[in-house]
Amino acid sequence: MLSSRSIVLLALAGVCAFAQLPRHPGPPPGDFAFMRGEFGFAGKLVTGAPYSAQVSRTFTQTLADGTHIQRSSTATVARDSQGRTRNEETMSSMGRLGAANGASRTTVFIHDPVASMSYVLDSNAKTVRQTQITASQHPHGPRPNAAATGGPRAHSANAATEDLGTQVIQGVNATGKRVTHTVAAGVEGNDRAIQVVTETWYSPDLQLVVVSKTSDPRFGDSVYQLTNITRAEPDPTLFTVPSGYTLLQGGRRGSPAAQ
Amino acid sequence: MSENELDLLEELRALAAAEPQAPSLAVEQKLLANFRARSVRRRRLVWESAVGAFAVAAAVVTLFLSGPAPKRSNAVAQAIQPAAPDIHQAIAEPQQQDSDLPQTRFAVVRTDDVASSFYPLPEAADLPAIETAMVVRVEMPASSLQFMGVPLGEDVSADPVEADVLLGQDGLARGVRLIQ
Repeated sequence: MLSSRSIVLLALAGVCAFAQLPRHPGPPPGDFAFMRGEFGFAGKLVTGAPYSAQVSRTFTQTLADGTHIQRSSTATVARDSQGRTRNEETMSSMGRLGAANGASRTTVFIHDPVASMSYVLDSNAKTVRQTQITASQHPHGPRPNAAATGGPRAHSANAATEDLGTQVIQGVNATGKRVTHTVAAGVEGNDRAIQVVTETWYSPDLQLVVVSKTSDPRFGDSVYQLTNITRAEPDPTLFTVPSGYTLLQGGRRGSPAAQ
Repeated sequence: MSENELDLLEELRALAAAEPQAPSLAVEQKLLANFRARSVRRRRLVWESAVGAFAVAAAVVTLFLSGPAPKRSNAVAQAIQPAAPDIHQAIAEPQQQDSDLPQTRFAVVRTDDVASSFYPLPEAADLPAIETAMVVRVEMPASSLQFMGVPLGEDVSADPVEADVLLGQDGLARGVRLIQ
């Protein structure tokens, strides 16, 4: 049995260790700690237009003192003819926020609208989070330019839309559009008008945006681009859960909206 | 009953009928000494147990506070204002400009650990419409939420919070909701 003196020393050591802990453990301000992917989904169901591509994203912010903050991330995306999507993310930032200690995490999001399921694969832990997502499809079916309509301010009174014509980007035809939204002076305490410019290049064949650029003096500039676009049918196994993964039930995360 | 057993019974009755006899002085002193020694050991055991329990409790608290489990702050969830719209509002709004557009709308089925619906972030207002989206769970200080444009009260807790962040295909956050 431990002597009383030993126990007292042990207790004091524990108290000292407690005192050494930070008062509020966790990431510092402006950062986040990635815990896990919850689920992924596609905003609309696109069938008959398979593809696979690389994604590059860059976010740049210039501070008032001239300091530049730049963050980037990559992904590999694919969609099959049935509309199933796969998104393999190497995540180290979310726009202005960077992962604590610069840590990156690779996570695979699979959305299977055929089975109304979402899978999130954690390749490190060899676990898969399965979530049932049900969605209601609009009866009119897919139409071109559905996703290229821009943000919610594209048709507001303070927004001007400019047609940029057609270009071949990464081997696919794309139509361009630039939306300039003006925040009038005084609206946000600004002494001058602020202009936010969003440029999107949309592929009618693939029914997705292949390039988008946003320039916002308040938050920074972001560039999203698809590269190495391949229009062949992706490997079907990309949209299934590999063997050897432990299933974690994520519950039911979506339901048909009331609208 | 045998003869031996009868003899033993008679002797036990005789012993029981006899008057109690005081122990000798030596026996009494020896008994007192043993009693005092046992009492000291019992007090030491109680004291040592108390100290041990305190040490274990301190170790448990230390491990809890240094582990990955975050401290969840209800105050942060309550501080978000105004009431946040649902996820389908956060992602479907860009597509609502044309009623003929194909629309896949999602509504969050609230689970027990969800404190709020998705709050649309100010900087997402001018971003392209969502084509594919991801929801990731992160831990962040409340100051990061304010950094993202979530309006929090001044008395918000400094504790880190868990949040689900809705990301578009461009990796930029469109909305955030807190986990309780």
